[in-house]
Amino acid sequence: MAEEECSLKVLLEEKDREIAALKCKLAQLEKSHAPALELHGKVTPLTPLRAKPALSNEDIMRYSRQLLLPELGVKGQLNLSKTSVLVVGCGGLGCPLAQYLAAAGIGRLGLLDYDEVELSNLHRQVLHGEENQGHAKALSAASAVRRLNSTVECIPYHLQLSPENALQLIQQYDIVADCSDNVPTRYLVNDACVLSGKPLVSASALRMEGQLTVYNYRGGPCYRCLYPLPPPPETVTNCSDGGVLGVVPGIMGCLQALEVLKIASGQGSSCGQQLVMFDGLGAKFRSIRLRPKQADCAVCGENPSVTRLVDYETFCGSAATDKCRKLNLLSRDQRITVKDYKSILDNSDPHLLLDVRPLVEVDICHLPFSLNIPLSNLEERKSEQIQLLQEKISQLKQQTAGDCRPPVFVICKLGNDSQKAVQVLEKMSGSEVDSITVKDISGGLMAWAQTVDPTFPQY
Amino acid sequence: MCVLCVVCVLYFAQSADLTGVRGEESVAVPTPISSQDLWTLLLRRHPRLSALQRRVVLAVRQQYVAIGDHLLTLEDGDEVAVVPPLSGG
Repeated sequence: MAEEECSLKVLLEEKDREIAALKCKLAQLEKSHAPALELHGKVTPLTPLRAKPALSNEDIMRYSRQLLLPELGVKGQLNLSKTSVLVVGCGGLGCPLAQYLAAAGIGRLGLLDYDEVELSNLHRQVLHGEENQGHAKALSAASAVRRLNSTVECIPYHLQLSPENALQLIQQYDIVADCSDNVPTRYLVNDACVLSGKPLVSASALRMEGQLTVYNYRGGPCYRCLYPLPPPPETVTNCSDGGVLGVVPGIMGCLQALEVLKIASGQGSSCGQQLVMFDGLGAKFRSIRLRPKQADCAVCGENPSVTRLVDYETFCGSAATDKCRKLNLLSRDQRITVKDYKSILDNSDPHLLLDVRPLVEVDICHLPFSLNIPLSNLEERKSEQIQLLQEKISQLKQQTAGDCRPPVFVICKLGNDSQKAVQVLEKMSGSEVDSITVKDISGGLMAWAQTVDPTFPQY
Repeated sequence: MCVLCVVCVLYFAQSADLTGVRGEESVAVPTPISSQDLWTLLLRRHPRLSALQRRVVLAVRQQYVAIGDHLLTLEDGDEVAVVPPLSGG
């Protein structure tokens, strides 16, 4: 009798293990059948995010190391799971931000970006891989995030945030994170957050510096309270012009994630009236205490003049992108194409090629016969460089048998600075240096690489 | 009575490009001084900063000051910071 009882118990345990294994297998199968990520090309209404009644055993294990923090605890974790966050921009800031929010168990992540992944993004936009080149950044970021935590609901938006869609989108989220890369989008996101009453966790980075503030939060200022007027477009440097060390937006995106998690968990952010600045060169953080929101602010003030979204590209005088603008400062006869310049080279016509890029860019690549004088040195009339230019012009004059206006061609990366340099050189011609005929090479070295010499590097 | 004190001025982001320096250790400034006069004094040192007029955060001892009539009492060694917004990401 006792023997039979014993063997039944063993059998039962065996079956229990079998059932547990089957359950586990089923769960994994269900997970792998999770609906494919659907890329949203427009804003659509979302179902409300439902609060979890309690943490599952899997949740407890997954989040155990943060559940142990008295600052978060079970309540904070449940709060995270019912919070939705819109990430505006899946680039250098958005990637680390989305990664940590997903890892921490945020409920829903809207991932917005209109752009596609490029090779030059990968040094800082760390959710995208080599195999994602040419794919929508929003989708690439969403699939990376899902690999990390499949319980987070991810909504990739492949669209440009605009005055037409911003309110409808932002109203559907609890917290907005500005990870954008241009001035018009920063004002647009700010105004949309003020108009819909959402906290805006905003970070930015360039070169070796970063900034972070939480706007429109518990009586603190909005972006317009601090910066009522946009910077003049010609003073704005973007990452494709000025460069950025990838880890700097990485640090700022992580700080942004920290503030989002503090707000989402219910603890609250400490950056509502604070501008945190990171100086990567000195490895220093500085915090500037800010004023509360301003009664005379155009959007969050007592008598706002901005009561609906406006045209931010007009307001800022620049396009809502970090791509370089194409300047048109010169007439047609002051410019030649890269193909024209190629035939001048092929004919061995005597001339001077002046490369006006900063030295750091010349070190990346240059045409071997060019003379480098950066635009800023021309503008400031650096005497050594002007002297050098004059010497080269004199040599050229000898080659051209005394041509009274020998030809000088000016080149840069994309053909904007070179146009400015042509204007400067035309002023100098005949007074500060001998008379010259100056022309711009349209489209610069990147056009040269694209149409004349495919082996020339692009950056 | 107006006395001179020596402050340190830090230039961030675009203001470092416009001034060509990241900081100036000893800048003589009269005190008390209105925040507008302090800004004008910086503009006289670096006229190219005028591009940032009304588009910049000015901070004294790591606290925001509105550029206007607001009177500041400065002390030797105080830190003045010029902080234009960064927009990259």
